[in-house]
Amino acid sequence: MKILLIIAFIGIALFEVPGLIQRKYWRELIFFLILLLLAFILSFLQVIGIKIPSPIKGIEFLVKYLKFWRNM
Amino acid sequence: MKLEGGKISSSHLTFLIVGFILGSSLILSPGMAAKHDAWLAVLVGLGEGLVFTLIYLTLAMRFPGKTLVQYNDIIFGPYLGKVISLGYLWFFFHLGSLVLRNFGDFLTSMIYPETPIAVFIILTTLVCASAVRNGIEVITRCSLILVVFTVFSVLGTIILLAQDMKFTNLLPVLDLPLKEFIKASHSAATFPFGETVVFLMVIAFLDNVKQAKISTLTALIVAGLLLVLSLLRNTAVLGVTEGIHVYPSYQVIRLIKIAKILTRLEIIVAVNLLTMGFLKISVCYYATVLGLAQLLNLRSYLPLVFPVGVLMVSLSILQFDSVIENIFFAFEIYPYYSLPFEVGFPLLSLIIAIIRGIPKQEEEKGNRKQDSVDNI
Repeated sequence: MKILLIIAFIGIALFEVPGLIQRKYWRELIFFLILLLLAFILSFLQVIGIKIPSPIKGIEFLVKYLKFWRNM
Repeated sequence: MKLEGGKISSSHLTFLIVGFILGSSLILSPGMAAKHDAWLAVLVGLGEGLVFTLIYLTLAMRFPGKTLVQYNDIIFGPYLGKVISLGYLWFFFHLGSLVLRNFGDFLTSMIYPETPIAVFIILTTLVCASAVRNGIEVITRCSLILVVFTVFSVLGTIILLAQDMKFTNLLPVLDLPLKEFIKASHSAATFPFGETVVFLMVIAFLDNVKQAKISTLTALIVAGLLLVLSLLRNTAVLGVTEGIHVYPSYQVIRLIKIAKILTRLEIIVAVNLLTMGFLKISVCYYATVLGLAQLLNLRSYLPLVFPVGVLMVSLSILQFDSVIENIFFAFEIYPYYSLPFEVGFPLLSLIIAIIRGIPKQEEEKGNRKQDSVDNI
């Protein structure tokens, strides 16, 4: 599963990077790599079974905290 | 403005919006809290949704040819505008991942119980990524075929189920407290109709901006009436038991039995969800990627497509542990969570734009600014 994930990410990088270097899109390349690294970290943690806190919990807490909206 | 070369016509926009609204709401019926009055709640919600859409359209008409991210910078200034744009982009991104999750939940709980949910989510995202890489024009052209099929299947199933309908099931009309009813109709307004805020990123590519108003409002009314028809069908056939099913439309179409030949048509619902969900996810995905590229001043949005797609897959898998959590979020939390993005910020930007009289100031120094934008 881990190897499959790494292969998929290498595939994405090979698909995008050569074209960006050829056209000298350095700014695009930097943001592409930052986002890809973020995506890799997130999905890798999921694959090895670490539970990442869901943003839904935060949203639920916020909405329940503003309960006076509901009681209007 | 070189980010997207495509142009869409206003009639295509109508189809795209119909597909977008029917997206996941054909499966996850909105207004379920109102039980057998759900159709009435959706009708009232449609009215509220039309008001929301008028806000978006007035805003879009003031800045023709510009997307949401671009005119946030003009209205709020470069720094606060970027923060607000980032908020919108989070909402579009999260909306896409919620629809992906609904998709996966439906397929794993109804059709493929043994398959892990990640399979469906990843495959759908791949298809959507290919659509997004090809630009808005391709997505819009897809909608032309797919929406026609869905409309015919909704109307067709109503005809096939005519013999099972009992309209007495609808009878105690408005048999619930007004507060509950308003809550249900507001939830219907935010769940399918208010989500058209995403189209503030798309209307900029219309070839004739003046027709945006008519085509958007037509689309909203057509989609709303189709939803009302499908809810009437569900309630008339299932009656009180509608409330215990997670996916009432699916259960209803299971009941079609005509001459032992036309049976097991429930896959039609799955196909409808697949096609309309594809449109909805693609539009949200496209809006996120394009908005991010404009926010970061990039020359092309193509390199962002795959990283954003992977993030969307990750978020949609990790955000809920079960179908029930998803349904609870959709009906209890989402109507409040989406409020600032669907009403708050658009209304605020519109008011600030009117007070500052912004489009007129733009015309004076428009030429200079246009040059600098083109150079980017």
